[in-house]
Amino acid sequence: MTRKVCISGGATTPFDYPLHATPESMIANCIVETQEDIPNFTLRDLEFMVYSHFSVHFGKQLCPEWIVHDHLGLVGLPHFRVENGGNTGGSALYAAFLAVKSGLFDVVGVAGWETMDNVTQSQGSEFIALASDTRYEALAGGIYPIYYAAMAYKFMKEHGLTEEDFALAGMKNRTYACDNPKAQWARNENKKITVDDVMNSRLISYPLKKYDCCLMSRGGSFALVTSEEWAKENADGKYVTIDGAGLSSCTIRAGDRLAFPGWTEMYGEGYPDMTEFGACRKSGEDAYDMAGIEYDRAAKEIDVAEIHDAFSSSETQIYKALHWCDKDNIKDFVRNKRTFMEGDLPVNPGGGLMGFGHPVGATGIMSAIECYYQLTDMIPDKHHSSDTYVRDAETGLVNSHAGTGTSISNFILRRP
Amino acid sequence: MTKDDRKHYIPDKVEYGEKHPDKFRGDVEEDGFHFCGYDYDSEEEQFKVYLHYDQLYYWKYAELSKMGKGLLDGEIWGTKCPECGDKFFPPRVNCWNLDCNLEKTEWIKLKPEGYVHTYTIAGWSGRSSLKRLPFVLAYVVVDGCKTAVANELRGIDPWNAEFEMPVKVVWADKEDRRGTITDFHFEPADDWEPSGMNPEKERMKELCEPVYEWVKSMK
Repeated sequence: MTRKVCISGGATTPFDYPLHATPESMIANCIVETQEDIPNFTLRDLEFMVYSHFSVHFGKQLCPEWIVHDHLGLVGLPHFRVENGGNTGGSALYAAFLAVKSGLFDVVGVAGWETMDNVTQSQGSEFIALASDTRYEALAGGIYPIYYAAMAYKFMKEHGLTEEDFALAGMKNRTYACDNPKAQWARNENKKITVDDVMNSRLISYPLKKYDCCLMSRGGSFALVTSEEWAKENADGKYVTIDGAGLSSCTIRAGDRLAFPGWTEMYGEGYPDMTEFGACRKSGEDAYDMAGIEYDRAAKEIDVAEIHDAFSSSETQIYKALHWCDKDNIKDFVRNKRTFMEGDLPVNPGGGLMGFGHPVGATGIMSAIECYYQLTDMIPDKHHSSDTYVRDAETGLVNSHAGTGTSISNFILRRP
Repeated sequence: MTKDDRKHYIPDKVEYGEKHPDKFRGDVEEDGFHFCGYDYDSEEEQFKVYLHYDQLYYWKYAELSKMGKGLLDGEIWGTKCPECGDKFFPPRVNCWNLDCNLEKTEWIKLKPEGYVHTYTIAGWSGRSSLKRLPFVLAYVVVDGCKTAVANELRGIDPWNAEFEMPVKVVWADKEDRRGTITDFHFEPADDWEPSGMNPEKERMKELCEPVYEWVKSMK
């Protein structure tokens, strides 16, 4: 199918905890900001809306997308909501991609939000843990940082990594967030931190400390997904093509992936154990295939990436899952700071989940919009400075991630 | 930063001066769907309403009922595929192997022992688990299963846990059992001894100290 799908605009609210804005006003603000960049875009252009919202628990409201949809005045327009854990945003983007790719629609809006500041952080942790297998894992006291830590600890041991190696990502993303006026870290602490700061922060679950973990947030985000024809006519110079898209799945319980027959068949005995994100590898490979990127050249071909860094460890594990490094050279890959601004593959210059924040339904869209800003040279306008602007980037990767790696999507964006 | 009048103003700071003195604030009770109180900031005109938090739910174990009854009786019941022989705990009621085409599994009583596949020391958790911190959550392969189950590993200083260490199932007192995973926890196998302290364990111990202090200070 030769029809190309584009991201032709989008915006994000500030992410914060607390943030004083309703879901409908957050999305309205994002659409108005999109119109500041893409003046031709009006609400009458929209043909289909995909809403991205993770947990109705945070708002005590079923079908909250109905409130936002009619608030926008879009009566009669088809819509549905995607809920897919941390990968809700990526999955909603995937749904919009399918809708345009199929030829059914030319202009699709993707709007996402989460209102996690409606509860305390320990209550919020429990709410999110309702997306693990409550019968076994949540009831035993498990919450997501704990599951991730158990996976990360084994990964760390098997790859000769240290706590400090993970801490590099925590330091990097929070430091870059200081350049982003909408980032929660910039709106609150706003300080560049060191590896020592990460190492000295409080224990969350070994080997993860507080600064290895993402920020619980409130926030919204909007992306405009269109045909190439619409993009050329209405967003010239400010659109990117989605050249590759992949969505894959793994078990809800991390403990079930020691020898899952489906994985064994694909990637060999013992894969993915509990240390690998098989769904990231598979969806990454699917996206690379679609975009014509050879796996072993992926690190060379991608110029900038927004990765789902719910934890510093998961960002590091994803480097490997995306074929940027392997078991033998992951230590060098991390320690040579190749994912820093001065490296050859900057990751999360927008701050990521650890710096920008993680209001789950908005997050994947935020990552896509940050990557879109990079590839359309809009970063200097959107961030405080050009310090986090990856100049001349041609190819970007956006990653969204749910559960304990239970659902993961990857997108390859290119400058047209 | 706002360029367009249509944009909603989002205040950076809100200070709720007026607070409804409701007795439910911060102390949650099961009381149905209702409002418990409010806060109001007159300067920024920000209003916040408190809703109740807890809901009463139940799980129907249905096809998994044998497992639930087993836990009450101090028995670990898993399942096994009669076709390929894969064993599961937590139980899967159909085989996961696509070639077995959803073969219905059979119940088998498992030996109450296993080994640690991986683990972590939790220093933070959900609201209902905070007072148990720091605890070890271990993924344990029970009696030759193809899957691991997460549960608490007790009877050990957290920094002394190890990969591959043999563990046994230890039951809660009979009157405290509820037919749930928390009816048992893991403890080191009888003949297992921790290896001595090393720099990594020292680091873990150091990270745990403030957690012990913090938990002591909790009401």
